[in-house]
Amino acid sequence: MSVERRLIAREWRLLVAKPGDVFKPMWFLMLVISMVPMALSPDSSLLAEIGSAMIWVATLLALLLNTDHLFRDDFNDGVLEQWLFFNRPLAWLVVLKLLSHWCLYVVPLILVTPVAGLLLSIPANVLLALLITLLIATPALTCFTGLGAALTLGSSRSGMLGVLVMMPLFVPVIILASGVLVRATEGAEVLPLLALLGAFSMASATLVPFAVSAALKLNIGGSN
Amino acid sequence: MGWRWFHQWGSPRWFYERAARWQLVSGWLALLLLTVGTLWGLGFAPVDYQQGHSYRIIYLHVPVAFLAQALYAAMAVSAVVLFVWKMKLADIGIQAMAQVGLGFTVLALVSGAIWGKPTWGTYWVWDARLTSMLILAFLYLGVIGLRSAIADPDQAGKACAILVLVGVVNLPIIKYSVEWWNTLHQPASLKLTEKPAMPASMWVPLLVNILGYYVAAAYLIFGFMRGLVLHRERRASWVREVIARD
Repeated sequence: MSVERRLIAREWRLLVAKPGDVFKPMWFLMLVISMVPMALSPDSSLLAEIGSAMIWVATLLALLLNTDHLFRDDFNDGVLEQWLFFNRPLAWLVVLKLLSHWCLYVVPLILVTPVAGLLLSIPANVLLALLITLLIATPALTCFTGLGAALTLGSSRSGMLGVLVMMPLFVPVIILASGVLVRATEGAEVLPLLALLGAFSMASATLVPFAVSAALKLNIGGSN
Repeated sequence: MGWRWFHQWGSPRWFYERAARWQLVSGWLALLLLTVGTLWGLGFAPVDYQQGHSYRIIYLHVPVAFLAQALYAAMAVSAVVLFVWKMKLADIGIQAMAQVGLGFTVLALVSGAIWGKPTWGTYWVWDARLTSMLILAFLYLGVIGLRSAIADPDQAGKACAILVLVGVVNLPIIKYSVEWWNTLHQPASLKLTEKPAMPASMWVPLLVNILGYYVAAAYLIFGFMRGLVLHRERRASWVREVIARD
């Protein structure tokens, strides 16, 4: 089996061994969403107006729940050091890791958001736009959270720090996605903005893995 | 000859002793420029016909806002130097500039808020410039937080440098997206008043103060860096010599 196949198969086996990691973010998302009407008002027109923004923020926070363990477990049990012995560039292995994380943990979370949207009585066309923006934007978000996780590997207890450090970089993604949602609500053209969002996401997915691999190298082998 | 000059920067002791002189010069120069600029700006520059005396806060606000952004760029240059030449001093420079930069950013936000109250009637609006300044403050905080979380100084320095470089690539994107967002959501309800073509009696003191704050920033950075060099090299014998001598 090739290195790539083995790496992805291992992620899958880890997920089967601990399926809770997939469900906890969904659980969190549904909890946050059910708090919104209680905190605000059960008025469905009001909820429909702010609902898509609420779901975006809640999904973002739910995404962040899983990020610390992204590299931490592999670092602790020595798997990251094994990566250096594979005949592959580290950045490529990082891409595989982030991609499998996205497929296995992030996409299931996104698939729950329509249910949350129904609870907040969001109209169908906005719900579709929400789903598409999340699918397009999350690769960039996954890369940035991965970078946060890799940068903070050197400190023993800082699950939160990686998140705090990376959150400001989410600004363009959130702005573009909210632009798409506003236009979808008004029935205006959304494709140009989606294209921009996709461009940002692709650029992050291409460039950030290099930064992640540089950050990982600080912690494995090299400096110690 | 040029390379020798360059390699001197690799020596912490050389920097420590040389920077003492630079610190002294920049300190006095900053004091002079800021005294002249501030007295001139606050006391003698003409009153603005729209904003009255409250406009005078620009003699503080504009220079610190300039510096808040310039220092992030300088930090990025330092990060490149750290990666290319593995120079310890660049790492110390990032650390010093992050702290001074955060200070200036907070000062710019606070002085802007104080000016905003009489002029806009509110301390805060989600104006594009204010928002990107706030994000900048969070970026600085991230660099400082990351540094303090990692115990090994070399590792912390490189991690911070990676963060600074990723940040500096994203900063223009953040800035443009925030500007775009602002025009989308908030059609010109509150905008910075269109700048009237300032007479020279207003902008000359401003220029003096901008220069003054730049020099003051250099003074602060040299001070921070000297302290950090001593701390970082505390096991070296030259530090003991220097401390015994001073």
